[in-house]
Amino acid sequence: MGSKIVTFVLGGREVEVMVKPMTTLQAVLRYQLGYTAVKEGCRQGGCGSCTVLVEGEPVLACLLPAEDVAGQQVTTLESITPVDGLDPLQQAFLDASGFQCGYCTPGMIMVSKALLEHNPRPTREEILDALAGNICRCTGYEPIVAAVEGAAQAGAAPGAQRR
Amino acid sequence: MTVGEYLVPRSLPEAIDLLERHGPELLVMAGGTLTMPLINEGIAMPDRVMSLRHAGLGGIERRGDVLGIGATTTLTQLLAEEGVPLLREAARNMASWPIRNMATVGGNLFTPSPGGDVAVALLALDAQVRLAGPRGTRVVPLADFHTGFMTNALAADELLVEISVPTTVRQTAFIKFGRKHANTPAVVTVAVALERRDGQISAARIALGAAGPHPIRVAGAEAAIVGSALEAGVIEQAAAAAVRECRPLTDALATEWYRRRMVGVFVRRALELIVEQHRARVAESA
Ligand SMILES: Cc1cc2nc3c(=O)[nH]c(=O)nc-3n(C[C@H](O)[C@H](O)[C@H](O)COP(=O)(O)OP(=O)(O)OC[C@H]3O[C@@H](n4cnc5c(N)ncnc54)[C@H](O)[C@@H]3O)c2cc1C
Ligand code: FES
Ligand code: FES
Repeated sequence: MGSKIVTFVLGGREVEVMVKPMTTLQAVLRYQLGYTAVKEGCRQGGCGSCTVLVEGEPVLACLLPAEDVAGQQVTTLESITPVDGLDPLQQAFLDASGFQCGYCTPGMIMVSKALLEHNPRPTREEILDALAGNICRCTGYEPIVAAVEGAAQAGAAPGAQRR
Repeated sequence: MTVGEYLVPRSLPEAIDLLERHGPELLVMAGGTLTMPLINEGIAMPDRVMSLRHAGLGGIERRGDVLGIGATTTLTQLLAEEGVPLLREAARNMASWPIRNMATVGGNLFTPSPGGDVAVALLALDAQVRLAGPRGTRVVPLADFHTGFMTNALAADELLVEISVPTTVRQTAFIKFGRKHANTPAVVTVAVALERRDGQISAARIALGAAGPHPIRVAGAEAAIVGSALEAGVIEQAAAAAVRECRPLTDALATEWYRRRMVGVFVRRALELIVEQHRARVAESA
């Protein structure tokens, strides 16, 4: 029972990978494609460090067989980082000191990205709810919430006035 | 990774056919939020896995006073459905956004205690579950679905295809009490659905999670409030009956002793919540 070829769109570019049955999207992104912003914290769905967007919605790459995203749009932190410079959300995390070791940061940013797409002006409660599945062992969360609030104020959501 | 084959059927007949062909060794997976951690950890080492994600079993359908919830409807989809507030409350209190995007309503019925928060709400709503296999389809009350810790009425060649609930039950309350505010397993979950006629409770269903081997109803507590107008004394009696009837487990989160006491506290609070809502509704319509 051999491997399969799976095609999906990664950051706007079509990619084709050969996968063994049920290889996770996390393993494909990290080890086959070198997208190491997709972290490998727990592989249990419990830490959020592997969060990517599939068709714009946050999901956990450690719980998703790569075959399941065939034909779909996958977005990682690499995909939203401009060639030179930073995405406004990345800049907001920098401005607010929203990270220390940085391990949780790609997951935090991907969830926040999706949140601001859905809801450009989230309340503090809505930010806390969106990030409830992402664990940070360093910051105490306050600077992360401040970063998302800052990004929302600066209009970081693509739908908002400024880009 | 030891999995030999990953099957992704595109329809229910195809899924049933694959299940019949490969037998009980075929591991069925919907959202994967329970199954994938076990596979990643090497606790489950299935030869073959079948995903229901593309089998066309997702989505919510209204049929008069009934809501038909496809087994692979995600919790995010359930949260967006406004027809049954009790189910929204249950979905809102469950896991995290990315998990809710993946986890299915059907899968929640297979979640071992203390999990299964949505199942508790469904039990209070007296949900029916539709099971399909090579011999056809049958409908079973959810109250008869769970038979023990991680055992149920599903035959080895059957799949769960739909869960249906009435949209007419309006007096409901849901409380999940955990050690944290969000994204946490339950110490105890309480879901209540009542019907009222001429100011009196005419039917009552009180369901508990993390208070037995699977979501359970507490008949003595229900009987205590039927025929009453939910006076404070009656609520105390119902809470005391629930404490006697529940059979909680001890795990890393809470002991049996503590859970039993919390059943009393949160059955009382859930019933008080219904009294408050009722008062507000009466005041509004006056
Ligand atoms: C981080 C984290 C947090 C969580 N928090 C909560 C929580 O707060 N509350 C809670 O209740 N749960 C929680 N869970 C557990 C789980 O996510 C949910 O119970 C979810 O609803 C399970 O659904 P699934 O489709 O992902 O299950 P799957 O893993 O796909 O399936 C589990 C099992 O159910 C069976 N199954 C599923 N669907 C069918 C079907 N249609 N027909 C036949 N068999 C089927 C299969 O045997 C399968 O092995 C959490 C899980 C994680 C990882
Ligand atoms: S690695 Fe996926 S949630 Fe922790
Ligand atoms: S910055 Fe270290 S885990 Fe969040």
